[in-house]
Amino acid sequence: MCLVDMDIGLRNLDILMGLENRVVYNLVDVVEERCKLRQALVKDKRMPNLSLLPAAQTRDKTAVNADQMKKLCEELKSMFDFVLVDSPAGIESGFQNAIAGAEEAIVITTPEMSAVRDADRIIGLLEAQKDQITQYRLVLNRLRPKMVANSDMMGVEDVLEILSVKLLGVVPEDEEIIISTNKGEPVSGTDNTRSGLAFRNIARRLRGEEVPFMDLDVKNDTWVTRIVNFFNPVRV
Amino acid sequence: MQILDWLFKVPTGPAPGTAAVTAKDRMRNMLTHDRLELPAGKLEVLEEELTAVVARYFDLEPDTTRFDLKQIDRKAALIANFQLVRSKC
Repeated sequence: MCLVDMDIGLRNLDILMGLENRVVYNLVDVVEERCKLRQALVKDKRMPNLSLLPAAQTRDKTAVNADQMKKLCEELKSMFDFVLVDSPAGIESGFQNAIAGAEEAIVITTPEMSAVRDADRIIGLLEAQKDQITQYRLVLNRLRPKMVANSDMMGVEDVLEILSVKLLGVVPEDEEIIISTNKGEPVSGTDNTRSGLAFRNIARRLRGEEVPFMDLDVKNDTWVTRIVNFFNPVRV
Repeated sequence: MQILDWLFKVPTGPAPGTAAVTAKDRMRNMLTHDRLELPAGKLEVLEEELTAVVARYFDLEPDTTRFDLKQIDRKAALIANFQLVRSKC
């Protein structure tokens, strides 16, 4: 599995994965043939099958074009089972380059109005590339179940209905993410966090497994579930 | 009583006027306009013109004409409802 950081100029994935000290070459070096693709790939500390292709930090989005990205993705596809491209924010060239070699897309949004509007725009652009991008699914990030229960925030169903999109996963808001990021250990590798479980469920769904969605409904927070939770803190 | 409330919580849908419902209504309206690339206020002009056309052919029940811009999947549908009293023809 390979992660590609396409946010050229604003490199971040290396920090989140705790690999910032191991970056020697980057995506732009590969495209401009200053190094071989294998030389630029950084192996993850914990998972030997996971590699990162870091973005360049000192260049900008114009350093690569769509054809170069297509070629790069083809090469990566021949080396890995999964290639995940992290697109930069926005709908300009950075985004167009990020989707140039993609077969599927994951749209990530939070249940806030401005984020949902942006997601809708992205979905519209993905729909226009239907021949190339055969499916797209939604990850709803930073959901606050208590606020949803109090009708202070849109819930999963609300966002799905507005965007008319298939759901890939829901990640609850979790302070553990800040803690694990600070340690350089992705939360998906932690055993007893709800966000970690949510990310692992998403990974399993991407592999084609049927994984039921976590029950994040606070209305189901009763004395019975609390007792069950006490013995099984993450599952319920 | 608070403990009893907590023990016997009855699931209810979000009440109208809450932040979640307001957000959803605003989102629906905004995205419909976004997707159609429809400038604000144009729909109202169309509604007035449509009503004027229908009123040329029929007497309309006053204050009953309704227009709804509905979302069906990712497409929009304009649904108009005119209550007709009698033909003018």
